[in-house]
Amino acid sequence: MLTIESLKEFGADTVSGLQRCMGNEALYLRLAGSVAKEPGFDKLKEAIDAGDRSAAFDAAHSLKGVLGNLSITPLYNKAAEISDALKAGEDRDYAALVGELTALKDKYAALI
Amino acid sequence: MEHFRETSGHKRRVLIVDDEMVNREILGNILSGKYDVSYAGDGQEALELIKGEKPGFSLVLLDLIMPRMDGFELIKLMRADNEMRSIPVIVMTAEADAEVKSINLGAADFITKPYDMPEVIIARCERIIEFSEDKTIISSAEKDNLTGLYSRDFFFEYIRQIEEFNNDTRMDAVVFNIDHFHLINEMYGRKTGDKVLKGLADILMNIFEDVAGIGCRAEADRYYVYCQHQYSYDNIMQKIQDNLPELSEKAKIRVRMGIYPNVEKDIEVEAWFDRAKVACDRIRGDYTKSMTMYSSELHEISRYHEELINEIDEAIENRDLIVFYQPKYGIQGDKPVLKSAEALIRWKHPRRGMISPGDFIPLFESNGLIQKLDNYTWEEVAHQIRRWREKYGRVIPVSVNVSRIDIYDPALEKKLMKLVEDCNLTTKDIMLEITESAYSDNQDTLVRVVENLRNRGFKIEMDDFGSGYSSLNMLTTIAIDVIKIDMKFIRNMLKDDKSLRMVKLIMDIAGFLEVPVVTEGVEEKAQVDKLREMGCDLIQGYYFSKPVPPEDFEKLIDKEMQG
Repeated sequence: MLTIESLKEFGADTVSGLQRCMGNEALYLRLAGSVAKEPGFDKLKEAIDAGDRSAAFDAAHSLKGVLGNLSITPLYNKAAEISDALKAGEDRDYAALVGELTALKDKYAALI
Repeated sequence: MEHFRETSGHKRRVLIVDDEMVNREILGNILSGKYDVSYAGDGQEALELIKGEKPGFSLVLLDLIMPRMDGFELIKLMRADNEMRSIPVIVMTAEADAEVKSINLGAADFITKPYDMPEVIIARCERIIEFSEDKTIISSAEKDNLTGLYSRDFFFEYIRQIEEFNNDTRMDAVVFNIDHFHLINEMYGRKTGDKVLKGLADILMNIFEDVAGIGCRAEADRYYVYCQHQYSYDNIMQKIQDNLPELSEKAKIRVRMGIYPNVEKDIEVEAWFDRAKVACDRIRGDYTKSMTMYSSELHEISRYHEELINEIDEAIENRDLIVFYQPKYGIQGDKPVLKSAEALIRWKHPRRGMISPGDFIPLFESNGLIQKLDNYTWEEVAHQIRRWREKYGRVIPVSVNVSRIDIYDPALEKKLMKLVEDCNLTTKDIMLEITESAYSDNQDTLVRVVENLRNRGFKIEMDDFGSGYSSLNMLTTIAIDVIKIDMKFIRNMLKDDKSLRMVKLIMDIAGFLEVPVVTEGVEEKAQVDKLREMGCDLIQGYYFSKPVPPEDFEKLIDKEMQG
């Protein structure tokens, strides 16, 4: 069961996240809870595996938006790193980066 | 009147387009307190919603990267469409360069992800909606400089906007007009006129504020008001009447009101006010009524009047307006003698046939066009007198009508003198008929104008004597040369003793003033005999001849000459 406390512990900026939800805790927790099932994670992995950097960027960019709005900082930071790198056309080990993101996501999903 | 938008109580609709449920919900949660929020998951879905039911969206909040149809493509499509073009779009993005690109494509603003604080987002949306709504109606001058009311174009645009969110509220279109405003301007000058216009605007604004009204000055002295439906306008009219005396110390202001109640929302806004205007115009010149409601019967009459007004210039040019002459006979000798004539205008319309003077004279009197008609008649008459003089070697003096508005024409004397000179006449040859209505407005002007004309040698006839309230007043104020008795006394003089005594009384007055009396509307020999016995000098009426065109009048002259 996801709580404000567990989110905080995970590293989320729950103050900002709650503010964006106009203080509506139930809404915030429900939306934060949906993140683990966010299809963007799979899409990003598939695109990277297939070598489709454009599709990968779209997926990373979407994740970045959602995670940013909910202020789930550790996940947001990693998604932003991937998104920004893809956008800049940097040659990085994207499979490894996605692996790190997936690991964080799994840790997050465990909270739920 | 300013805050109709806020008080109308209907929420604007906004559309959130984002493929991420989380973003949609956060944003929707922020905006739903203020707006009626709809959602779309991609551009295609958004397009269908935008093209869908009314009222339309006031704002689209658009994510850029989406499956199926992305944000860029949707903006492009919206900008290319005449209706969708006016809906502002705020782009939501985390990419700085996308912001530039979307603004270039026509986005009104952008919101960054992660979102700013909710208050910031709401404020941005409010600002963009307001800006966009104002922009569509700001293309014309918003306010009328003189009165501070909305300009006509702005007013119509504003109503269309109100209707977008307020369509189910019953509303009325109301038109106000100042009676004879052109006379106020001519008699008291432009400054007084302007003061009256501004004053009336203030009165209307004050009174209609209570019923969520907005107003504009549509034309010179015509005002439009759009307000919530009123069961009765008696109170509103009373309040307006109570305030009118303050408008001017000199001029007496009368206002009339036409109402198109519970407007039919399916027809054009402009047409609502056309209908109210029809009602308003209908009671022009009717001093017993100050307001009326629109009806379809009124519509027909007004269309007819409009056509007549539009056709007058053409009628003058094509000589469809013909001056007829009705003879006046002296009856005090052994047998009647043709002395003079009265000029009467007739309209022989190419399509409608003869139009009754009753259809167009009061109409043109009410809008000032009568001046055109009078000027035309004078000219025709002057030339006719000259032609007859050349043909018969004698002058037949002709009376012409001088309307109220002519009295205030600064060029009146000059115009008449020019005709006299051009046709080589004397000022005695054209007689000027003035009715009592000329008396009621501004006596100083009337006295001065009449004196000047008499000094020139023109004879002034007082027409329709006894028909109004101020006949006697007028006699004591201005010097006149002839009294014409109102024909209703003549018509009844043998049937009803009161009328007979009135005729006798007027004869006595004329005798006292030592001016001749003309009686109009004489139809029977018995009337002629009675009038002769009473000492009447001149008679005009069907008994001798109806008004006839010049060629027929010549037959009367011929008969007279043969003896």
